[in-house]
Amino acid sequence: MNPWFAIGMLSFVALLIPLGMILISSLLRPTVPIAGKRAAYESGEIPTSSTHFRFDIQYYMVALLFVVFDIETIFIFPWALIYRDVAAYDLFWALVPMLIFIAVLFVGLIWAWSTGAIQWIVSEAISETEVSP
Amino acid sequence: MINFILNTQTPLVDAIYHLLGFDGLIGTIISAFIAAFLIGNIMLISAGIAGPWAKRKITAVFTDRIAVNRLGPFGLLIIVADAIRLLAKELIVPEGVDRPSWDIAPLILPFSALLGFAVIPMGGPLQLADPETGLVFVFAVASIASIGVVIGGYSSNNKFSMLGGLRAVAMNIAYEIPLIVTAASVVLFAGSLRLSEIVSAQADPLIIIAGVAIPSWFAFVNPFAFILFLVANLAEIGRNPFDIPEAPTELVAGYVTEYSSVYFVLFFLGEFLHVFLGGAIIATLFLGGPAAPISSLSFIPGFIWFLLKIWSVFLFTQWMRAAIPRVRIDQMIEIGWKGLLALSFINLIFTAVLVGVIA
Repeated sequence: MNPWFAIGMLSFVALLIPLGMILISSLLRPTVPIAGKRAAYESGEIPTSSTHFRFDIQYYMVALLFVVFDIETIFIFPWALIYRDVAAYDLFWALVPMLIFIAVLFVGLIWAWSTGAIQWIVSEAISETEVSP
Repeated sequence: MINFILNTQTPLVDAIYHLLGFDGLIGTIISAFIAAFLIGNIMLISAGIAGPWAKRKITAVFTDRIAVNRLGPFGLLIIVADAIRLLAKELIVPEGVDRPSWDIAPLILPFSALLGFAVIPMGGPLQLADPETGLVFVFAVASIASIGVVIGGYSSNNKFSMLGGLRAVAMNIAYEIPLIVTAASVVLFAGSLRLSEIVSAQADPLIIIAGVAIPSWFAFVNPFAFILFLVANLAEIGRNPFDIPEAPTELVAGYVTEYSSVYFVLFFLGEFLHVFLGGAIIATLFLGGPAAPISSLSFIPGFIWFLLKIWSVFLFTQWMRAAIPRVRIDQMIEIGWKGLLALSFINLIFTAVLVGVIA
C-alpha cells in the first residue's frame, strides 16, 4: 500500500483529535460575559497603544541568514544520501566538492558574523548593569 | 495475539488489514484509519500522562516536594480531573483578536506533532508508514509548529504574545539548521533516509566488552553528534535552558498569554507531543529505535524499548528544566549561530572523512 495514503489518513486524524476536543469543550464550558474581562492582558493595567509595534530589525537579519542555510541543507541531504556508495571507489570526488560548497557558506557566515548580523545588540541599560564574570 | 501485534515485521496498516480480514479499497481505507487513530492515541496518552502528572511528579522530586497525591494511586487520577477542569473552563476571547487565525493557531501545534509520528518506527508493526523520505518528512512537519506559534502570537493582540512569537521563530530557525545538519551526519553513516533502514543500520555490534556486544547505535558511534542533537533538540522544543519564547518571568506566558480553556490545552498538548516527537527522532537516529540495548534482552517487545527511550528523553528535558537557568535572547542567538552551527558543520565534515576512510 502506498505509505502516503496512511500518512494522509493520520493528517485527517491529527485534525480530528483537536477538533473533537474543541467540540467537547464547547459543550462543557460556561460563557459569562462581564465587562472588562475581554481586555488584553497587560499585567492588570489598562492596555496602552497598539500591539502591532515596530520590532527589532535583528529578527529579519536572522531570518535572512536562515533562508541561506536552509537551502544549503537541501543540497546537503542528497549528497549525504549517496556519499557512502560514491566514497567507496572515489573518495576525492565524493568529498572535495562538498567541502568547497561548505567553505563558501562558511565565508558567508564569517562575513555575517563580522558585520554584526548575528550580534544581538543589547540595550545600554542592560549592558551597564551587567556584572562581568 | 499481543505477540502477533507487537512482534511481526509487517507495517501497521497491513497488519490490521490482514488481522481483520478486509479486502478491497474500503477495507484499506478503514484499516488505514484505525492505524492512524491508534498511532495518534498512543502519543496522545503519552502526552496526557506527561503533562498533568509526570511533569509535576518529576519536578517535585527535583525540588524536594510532594506533588499530586490525593486523587487515585500516586495521584494518577489528576489526569482525568485536569482534563475535565481545563476543558470546562470559560473560553475568553480577548478584544481585537484576529478571529479566524486566532482559532487556527491552536490546531496547528498538535497537528504538526501528531503527523510527525506517522513515519516513526515504534517496534514491530507499529509504524504507520515507511516512505523513502521519512527523515525529511519528520523534520518538515515538525517545523510547521513554528507557523502556529507565529500566528498565535501575532493574532492575539497582546504585546507579550507578539514578543513570544517573535522569539520562538528566532530560536526555532537558529537551531533548526544545526539539528538538520547533525541528522545529515547520521545519514552519512546509514546511507538512507528511510527510518526503518536507519534503525537496521544500527543493529550490528560495535565492540564486544566482556562478552556483551554493544550495538552500533549512532550515539555510541558518534557521541559528539548525539550531544549536539540533544542540545539543538532542547531549543527546538523550547525547553530550558532555551525556553525564552515563554519565559514566565519576562513574558507572562509568551504566545499562549491570551489563550484559555481548550485552546490552552491544545497549545500545551502540542508542546508535549513535540517533546515526545523530539524524543522519538532521537531514539530513531541515535538510540537504535525500538531495538533492545543488548541482544539477551530482545525478548521484551520493541514497543516497550521505544517508550522507554522517548520517556528518557522526556526525563532529560525535565532534568534540564530543574537544573539549568534560562539563557538571554542575545546569548541564545550567539550559542545557536556561532556555536552550534559551526560545531555541526565541523561534525558533518569529520563524519564524512571518517565514513570515507572506513568505506
